[in-house]
Amino acid sequence: MKKGLSVLAVTLLFVFLLSGCFSNNRNENSQQNVSDGNSGGGTESTEITFLVLDAWAEQAKKVIEAFEAENPDIKVKVEVQPFSQIFEAIEVQMKSGKTSFDVFPVDSPLTTNYAIKGFLAPLDPYFDDSMKTLWLDTALQAGTYNGQLMSAPMNTSSQVLFYNKDLFEQRGVTPPPSDDPSHRWTWEQLVEAAKQLTYDTNDDGTPDIYGFSFDQIDRPYQLLPLGQSLGAEQVISDDGLVSKGYTNSESMVQGSIFYYDLFNTWKVSPKIPQELSRDYFKTGKVAMFLGTTATMHIFKDKINLGVSYHPYFEGKKVVTPTGSWHLGISAYSNKKEAAGKFIQFFSVGKGAEIWLKEYGQIPALKSLLKTLNEQVEPGSIESQVFKIASYEVENTAVLRPRTPGYLEWESILRSAFEDIKNGADPKTALDNAVEIIDKQLVKYKSAVKP
Amino acid sequence: MISNSNANMRKGSSRLFRPKRILGDKSVPYLFLFPAMLGIFIFKLYPIIEALKESLFAPTFVGAGKKFIGLGNYTTLFLDPQFWNSVKVTLLMNVVINPLQVVLALLLALLLNLRLRGIGIFRSVHYVPIAVSVPIASVIWNVMLNQDQGIINSMLNALGLPQQPFLGSKDQALWSIVGIATWRGVGYWAIFLLAGLQEVPKNLYEAAAIDGANIWQRFRNVTYPLIKRPLIFVIVSDTIINFLMFAPMYLLTRGGPENSTNVLMYESYKSAFVYSDFGRASALVVILLSIVLLVIAAQFRLFKADH
Repeated sequence: MKKGLSVLAVTLLFVFLLSGCFSNNRNENSQQNVSDGNSGGGTESTEITFLVLDAWAEQAKKVIEAFEAENPDIKVKVEVQPFSQIFEAIEVQMKSGKTSFDVFPVDSPLTTNYAIKGFLAPLDPYFDDSMKTLWLDTALQAGTYNGQLMSAPMNTSSQVLFYNKDLFEQRGVTPPPSDDPSHRWTWEQLVEAAKQLTYDTNDDGTPDIYGFSFDQIDRPYQLLPLGQSLGAEQVISDDGLVSKGYTNSESMVQGSIFYYDLFNTWKVSPKIPQELSRDYFKTGKVAMFLGTTATMHIFKDKINLGVSYHPYFEGKKVVTPTGSWHLGISAYSNKKEAAGKFIQFFSVGKGAEIWLKEYGQIPALKSLLKTLNEQVEPGSIESQVFKIASYEVENTAVLRPRTPGYLEWESILRSAFEDIKNGADPKTALDNAVEIIDKQLVKYKSAVKP
Repeated sequence: MISNSNANMRKGSSRLFRPKRILGDKSVPYLFLFPAMLGIFIFKLYPIIEALKESLFAPTFVGAGKKFIGLGNYTTLFLDPQFWNSVKVTLLMNVVINPLQVVLALLLALLLNLRLRGIGIFRSVHYVPIAVSVPIASVIWNVMLNQDQGIINSMLNALGLPQQPFLGSKDQALWSIVGIATWRGVGYWAIFLLAGLQEVPKNLYEAAAIDGANIWQRFRNVTYPLIKRPLIFVIVSDTIINFLMFAPMYLLTRGGPENSTNVLMYESYKSAFVYSDFGRASALVVILLSIVLLVIAAQFRLFKADH
């Protein structure tokens, strides 16, 4: 009897330990069954999870509310990630073979990368050909891989030159024109103005106000137009597997030298991380700010805001950045139907209009872009910003390169730009970057059709 | 009467649950070790075996998604200057940070062990950095070390000294991280050493003093031999933590400027989650693990307690 009790006690100990080890799996399985039951049920609602960026989580909720009102059988739960960690968060979850989200944001040039890695489910079942013609060609092109629609645009983007009218007035500097794109400032003119607008207010020997700052200080999205304006037609090979000779071409090096000079020679831009650039402009520490239309809402009630066109190099080509966030369905989602319906609503349905109103980024839908151009209110900063951005999207915008290794290319090039900002030699930084990039791109050879 | 019945009950229950009666003398220790061994296997050994296995594969992005390449990832790494730079940065940082933290922790523990007025307040204050998590400490120091408007540069300015780039300079970034990690780590390790110091019998110090030993001789011949066990624990644990340090590089410098803070751990992270190459990432982890094991083996040999 006593022996029996002892055996029972020891057995219970093992059962307890093993149940502890496997309890998580069992819970997950049971949750899975409930959710599957929901998705398959006729009257019960399906809940999909939407991964969003913290920068636009609030605005996205407005679109979700409208979607849920139209589709009472589908609920959308939001999962928030900061911009600085969104790419890693997606990689980590996808690599685990199971995602907590059904719909997720895709930076448009990453569509190819995610499609090759099997992260994305095709969107063709939810978007017929007539729907695809509603978007700008650049947006459709960015979301397509091997003839299949893999991601649908939330919006596209463009950059405008914002400036603080009060700082210009205080320093007696004439602001850049906003009436005619052919009168836009050159980078040379911008630097001259920035020098006058960079000054020390408390005599401690360091500037307190800076003339100019980029929004995305070290990101290729923002900085490629420097080299492209100077003649860099291609920044990566046609097959997207070679960066040497392209990303470090003479024009790209010249553009990077200009970037270096802004921080280190003329010292008209503050050496701050990207997360602080908007705060610097909003609080009057920077006089000119090159950013997307969506940043207008951050500044318009804080400073006396003026707007102008994206600068270019004297005698060279005008190039502006474009492309933005798309939406994709996780290949591991078991609620693809509901997710597809949501993306359709967001990208070509009523959601696109709400999104434009709430977020203020240039739309990828041609009809909305046309409406923006027609609804010009004289004197309104919103109208001016959208008028300028619409012009850029239709006339001067150049997409970022298409390469299966965009994540590697972007990340390594970003580090190079950060080094240049901190004083590294521009040519050496770009040369070193392409060596590392090309080693990483080799692995995609098998995924690229000859 | 009551005490007798209690004694009988204890006797009875100890007989009832005496495992060696069921499994025999030899199996009992294993039985008690089993839960711990199971945990070690699941959470330590299994991931290491998986990493070893994964390091023999390369991604293909077609079909199964990876192909067997044997030691290909290792040979590629040994020919990669980026890898050797990471080895150099990792070793350089650890050669400085580990002795620095252990020596400062020991000095701090000796100070904390003094019987002075107000020592209680000092003991509480030294604990503050430990209560701050590494990511929070990194963010706070990032603001304080800001090149343009950080408080440290404002203080340098006020003293008439030139501003420093700190995390923005390839010559200063690694040492700034060493400083931040030391600020946070020293107090933590000092607690273990303080516990060791308080175990040293006071009469040994008295005997040494009677023999005419000075402070250094008392430390060398009494304190040091008797705190060797907590000391080796601190040295080994600190070494492991610093070799695997990742958060400050991820949050503050992203391995830059110019790869000056690109330690093996961060390079492995980038390989896995930016370069989508788990084979390379696993090979880096296996190499890092081998280096750590070698260093720890050397430390055990050097600081082995005599008793």
